Amino acid sequence: MTAMLTRPGTEGRRASEPTLRRRRSSIRPGTILVAAVLAFGTVVPFLAVFILALSPEGARTIPFQLPQEWTLDNLIAVLSARNFLRWTANTAIYSIVSVVLVLITAAMAGYAFAKKRFPGREIVFWSFLATLMVPTQATIIPLFVLVAKLEGIDTFWGLIVPTLANSQAVFLMRQFIMGLPDELFEAAKIDGAREWTIFWRIVLPLTTPILATLGIFVFLWHWNDFLWPLIIAQTDEMRTLTVGLASLNQEAVSQARLMAAAAITVIPCLLVFAVLQRYIVNSVAASGIKG
Amino acid sequence: MTATTAPPRPTRRAGRRPSAATRSGMWAGILFVLPMLVLFIIFRFVPSLGAVGMSLTDYQLSGDFSVVWFDNYARMAGDEVFHGALITTLVYAAIYVPLVVVVSMATALVLNRLVWGTGFFRGALFLPYVTSFVLAGVIWLWIFATDGLINGLIADAGIDPYPFLTGNQLQVLTSLAVVSAWRGFGYSMLILLAGLKNIPEDLLEAATLDGANATQRFVRVTLPLLRPVVFFVLVIETIAAFQVFDTIYVMTGGGPSRASYSLVYALYDQGFKFFDFGYAAAIGVAIFLIVFLISLIQRGFLDRSNS
Repeated sequence: MTAMLTRPGTEGRRASEPTLRRRRSSIRPGTILVAAVLAFGTVVPFLAVFILALSPEGARTIPFQLPQEWTLDNLIAVLSARNFLRWTANTAIYSIVSVVLVLITAAMAGYAFAKKRFPGREIVFWSFLATLMVPTQATIIPLFVLVAKLEGIDTFWGLIVPTLANSQAVFLMRQFIMGLPDELFEAAKIDGAREWTIFWRIVLPLTTPILATLGIFVFLWHWNDFLWPLIIAQTDEMRTLTVGLASLNQEAVSQARLMAAAAITVIPCLLVFAVLQRYIVNSVAASGIKG
Repeated sequence: MTATTAPPRPTRRAGRRPSAATRSGMWAGILFVLPMLVLFIIFRFVPSLGAVGMSLTDYQLSGDFSVVWFDNYARMAGDEVFHGALITTLVYAAIYVPLVVVVSMATALVLNRLVWGTGFFRGALFLPYVTSFVLAGVIWLWIFATDGLINGLIADAGIDPYPFLTGNQLQVLTSLAVVSAWRGFGYSMLILLAGLKNIPEDLLEAATLDGANATQRFVRVTLPLLRPVVFFVLVIETIAAFQVFDTIYVMTGGGPSRASYSLVYALYDQGFKFFDFGYAAAIGVAIFLIVFLISLIQRGFLDRSNS
């Protein structure tokens, strides 16, 4: 404003004017430096894990230094030890099967809540949402007893099925499907499509973006889950990677071996994140999914 | 969180009698909700009521039980270990919540100021959030251990080692809070960043023209507009603080001498070490009540500050 009143080139320039202009032109090296320091703090610990995993056993790691020679021994030893591959497979089954089942059931429920009218619809929906108020730990004892009674201890279904009732997934699917125009569904009905066909041919394809986002999060939640697998998997063969890593941590395995195990557990998370990073980050801001 | 009002539907008129098509739609609706409804009834509603019911019994591993009414709660009131766990969790929350809110706010502000490399830095800062607390615990054990990275560095400088995980309660809980905050701040950071992006640029520019410096702009313009988002972050992080378990299990096992023995740890021990399911269920109900109460208090503050 005032800048327009003073002729260009006069001494009457306000101190604020350059800052306003700088906001659009320069790259603010100071801020980048601060961001770089912060990013150093979040990224370097992971690099350290991989470097330690590739260092020979017994190498001096304090103070931190790059190893004299790199070795794959630790990774090979961990992968061939005990049930480590089995744990990896268990974790993959736990995560992937959960993702598929949560997506299908949540999309079905979301479609019904968004586009169908049936008695009790609102009550059922709000009772789903109300479970968000109850922390998992508060119900974990009766849940464990229930699964034990149904003979689900040390089974995949006992691990997976109780985690599928996910109110956040239902909520997000409902919100997204509400935004789809009713005409789509009415047109399909007029063409004689059955509900099931509408669901597979219209609902699922049109909700792909939110399904992908949810899928990533459900995958990460299950891959990183700890307390539930800890109590349900009571034999070594049924453990997941987080539980296995915690048990290795309690045993007297060497630093290098432990870090090799840690590296293997985190690789899938890093891959998922590297490929879908922009997507994940944008969706959190947009939808407020909470892990 | 977000409003849940349906967009107005021009196709549906009020007072129309349900046609055959709507009736079939009704059955379709019920059938489509059914799988999730069954899952919710069996694995959410039943255990929620079961937690209350079980807390009034002396439920054993064998499945035998008799109703003891409020004995478990009376025991809790006089249980030194439970009191210790409650205090430990409160102290931990008092350290963790401010720490994680400040860190996520600071990182969000830095990201908001960035004009170059935004995507890269956002990703880099969010990175710990996609990994597990167990992994964070393993990494930070190597950093915080008595013969760990930091103590190795200060030993070279000739300073006595700092007891990150072996000292008094305050030292140990602070170390654990740092680890949890490092792993967990990314989510709150993104929520706050989204809030910052919604603040109109011209308000800040007007404040600048009025001669406000960066601190004044933040306190007078940014913070008041961001208040609901900050409260949301406060609530979710407080709830997270009361559920702390994984990091403790990996790093200290509740020690040294119960210095980091949290409420969920007490519940885990009672349930899966001593198999005293009735008492463990009662601790679970207590955790729910505490979290619920705190949410209500924070909600009250939010409503008051908005009116």
